[in-house]
Amino acid sequence: MSEMPNTSAAGADPEAAAASPVRRELGDAERRARFEAEVLPHLDRLYSAALRYTHDATDAEDLVQESVAKAYRSFHQYREGTNLKAWLYRVLHTTYISMYRKAQRRPQESLQDEIDDYSFYDEVSRVTGTSPEREVLDSFTADEVKEALAALPDTFRQAVYLADVEGFSYREIAEIMDTPVGTVMSRLHRGRKSLQQALHTYASERGLLTGPREA
Amino acid sequence: METGDRPQCSDECREALRRLGALLDGELGEVTQAKLEHHLADCEPCTERRDFEEGFRELVRRGCTDEAPPDLRARILSQLDEIVTG
Repeated sequence: MSEMPNTSAAGADPEAAAASPVRRELGDAERRARFEAEVLPHLDRLYSAALRYTHDATDAEDLVQESVAKAYRSFHQYREGTNLKAWLYRVLHTTYISMYRKAQRRPQESLQDEIDDYSFYDEVSRVTGTSPEREVLDSFTADEVKEALAALPDTFRQAVYLADVEGFSYREIAEIMDTPVGTVMSRLHRGRKSLQQALHTYASERGLLTGPREA
Repeated sequence: METGDRPQCSDECREALRRLGALLDGELGEVTQAKLEHHLADCEPCTERRDFEEGFRELVRRGCTDEAPPDLRARILSQLDEIVTG
């Protein structure tokens, strides 16, 4: 323990406290305790995200470990009162890019323009002659969802994951991925459609979608 | 090319469909959102479509829950011991 000022009492001016870079004033023990209390509860979620990023359990563990270490080293830069979760994902995202940049030599894949016209809902309606019930969604297994996600190009998969699983806003995703909001929106739009198309294929293969199949 | 146009599909429905993604993402302005919800309250086909798309997002969320291996936490804690911050 060190000569910690009483930080809660120091918050006489909450505006200033919220804007000040975090915890530079904290002693090591206090910083460590805060970090454990605030960051470690996100571990499962970070690991889950890392699995989607890397596709591999060992790589995902490495990525989380490295990201948490990085976050700890720069914890003093995190601004209290701002979004800790978004900050952590930003660290995870940049760590992923620096760890796997070499492996990413292949040109960034993108999605075919035709994907814009695709809609699971419309396609199933057309094939079966009725609007798809929501129950059709319950027939998909977690493994199928993961596999379909894994098939998306990196940036599309990351955007969809950050929005649909983690619930980040467009702006937060833009900050995490360091890309304009418009790009995030287009990646989400196309990524979701492509994901639906992949799941549609699984459903068809399982003979789940049958009906008058002419057109 | 909207393959899903229903015979009775109105401009309002098309507009709703176009904004559905942003609505579900909670990214519409208050006024637009209210307008869209007003339409949904009156339009069953659009409501069904909304529910379905909402279901898709839930499906993705449901499919992606993993727990960190217990030893990862332990390894991280001991790693923190070695890091000097400042």
